[in-house]
Amino acid sequence: MNAIEIRNLTKTFGEKRAVDSLNMTVPEGAIYGFIGENGSGKSTTEKLICGLIQPSGGEIKLWGKEHRDPEMRAKIGVLIEAPGCFPNYTVWNNMKLQAANLGIKNENEEIRRVLHLVRMDGAASNKFKNCSLGMKQRIGIAFALLGNPKLLVLDEPINGLDADGMRIMREILTDLSRRGVTVLISSHILGELEKIATHYGIIRGGKMLKEMTAEQLNADCPTYVALKTDEIEKTRDILQRAFGRADIDEQTGEIRVYNANAEDTAKYLFGNFGIAVSEIRTAKISLEEYYINLMQEERK
Amino acid sequence: MENAKTLQFEKPSFFTRLKGMLGVDFYRLFHTPLYFIFLAIAAIIPALVSMGAMGEGETAGMFTNAWQIIAADSPLYIISNMGEYANMNMVFIFGGIMVSIFIGHDYRSGYVKQLFTTHAKKEDYMISKTLVSAFSMVCMCFTYLIGGMIAGAATGLPFAINAGSFLCAILGKVIMSLGWASLYTFINIIFRRKFGISIALCFVLGTGIPVIGAAALVGNSVALNIFLYGSSVYACLSANFLSVLVCLACSLAWAVVYNVLGSVLLYRRDVY
Repeated sequence: MNAIEIRNLTKTFGEKRAVDSLNMTVPEGAIYGFIGENGSGKSTTEKLICGLIQPSGGEIKLWGKEHRDPEMRAKIGVLIEAPGCFPNYTVWNNMKLQAANLGIKNENEEIRRVLHLVRMDGAASNKFKNCSLGMKQRIGIAFALLGNPKLLVLDEPINGLDADGMRIMREILTDLSRRGVTVLISSHILGELEKIATHYGIIRGGKMLKEMTAEQLNADCPTYVALKTDEIEKTRDILQRAFGRADIDEQTGEIRVYNANAEDTAKYLFGNFGIAVSEIRTAKISLEEYYINLMQEERK
Repeated sequence: MENAKTLQFEKPSFFTRLKGMLGVDFYRLFHTPLYFIFLAIAAIIPALVSMGAMGEGETAGMFTNAWQIIAADSPLYIISNMGEYANMNMVFIFGGIMVSIFIGHDYRSGYVKQLFTTHAKKEDYMISKTLVSAFSMVCMCFTYLIGGMIAGAATGLPFAINAGSFLCAILGKVIMSLGWASLYTFINIIFRRKFGISIALCFVLGTGIPVIGAAALVGNSVALNIFLYGSSVYACLSANFLSVLVCLACSLAWAVVYNVLGSVLLYRRDVY
């Protein structure tokens, strides 16, 4: 069953179509990486799913039911932008208020559980305004986890987190996914997303460009041979003629050859042209590169 | 996650939802220093009013009875002097400012965003805010009453009054808090984070200027009791049981109207 199913969703703000006939399917238990440029409509879509803003057209279904259904709403945990906390209250009191709104009976136990999950046990007595950005993000996740939701909608949750915070976040989300919780997560930190996402949706200009599973992405991301020589330009031209595609990575100074084998490439260069390869490795295009390439193609 | 299995999660009824939301709002109210500041302001206003009445100049001698600091002698919508205006009705002006800041903070902090991603319904929000705001204004009425009695004693004016009428006047004004609270909640739902506009509009409506203006056109008509300011004025020192009923009908009717309108608005508009 799909946790989220969106058909022809549209949201306009005046003349601007922030979300334009968007279709999206998030299977139950998936960690769905929602990717797009700034202003592409990610946050708007997430706000629509959470019922914070009203759609101009289309439909959103959560587990097959209308997304405004209070029964469905009770199953969602949300972190959109920053957590909605009162700055002068302690973290604990802010969470108590949210627990009261959620109708959680054994709230003290539940608050302790979620704070422990995000490794914020020690911060409960801190005033929210005195927490660092990273702490606030973790508290936001704890807010979202209150009430043991079946769907988590997280908008840029790893912004402001340090390396340890990101690792903790990865562990939490992977663990939740294993327990059948569906996670919709948008982020610009694609390297982190790539480590946990099982599904992806790429949005541009309010439209869904591509939806795929991690396996499909893996298949779509070609492997390449990255090598270094003293004669970069000349080597690139040779390899381009031989293999059809060879690029120079400006940042690393490497030449990338697609659909090639490392050993054969090195032998070919040295044997036929006397070009010695100083470094050579085989790698795979990352999600970030895949995304950048896709965006460049779209702009064309 | 080990405790997750034992977590009890109930399908919330209206009363359960409202109980949770009221609990949150009352907690916030009692932890908002501004609320206590406004209670103090409500207590101080009568002293300021009586000081003006005791001094020299236009306001001198505007009261002949200490209880006039609390309510006017008769329901006069057309104001001829400050003594007819400066009474407990001023609580509803300051109450509007307090409610605007209270609700405005819901939006500024993002609490509303957090709230409406749960099973909370929009009508629950309207009802909860109205009740808590009404409660805060009722408390302000009582601190005004205490302040007014102290100020009245300080002026040396006589305290002669028909106790029944006085009780009806106080009861009427207390009841009107509900209607005013619903109006202010509705205004704040319209302007949301722009609570500067809400404060200004609440202030204008709370002063009763539109009704006073209408009274200048139609005269001192009882028809003006259909408005919140009109009924608030109607709860005066000559009030009787009928006055209380008028206040109750007016306050309840407007509370229902504003709560329905507010809920519809919340459902149709983007929340955050």
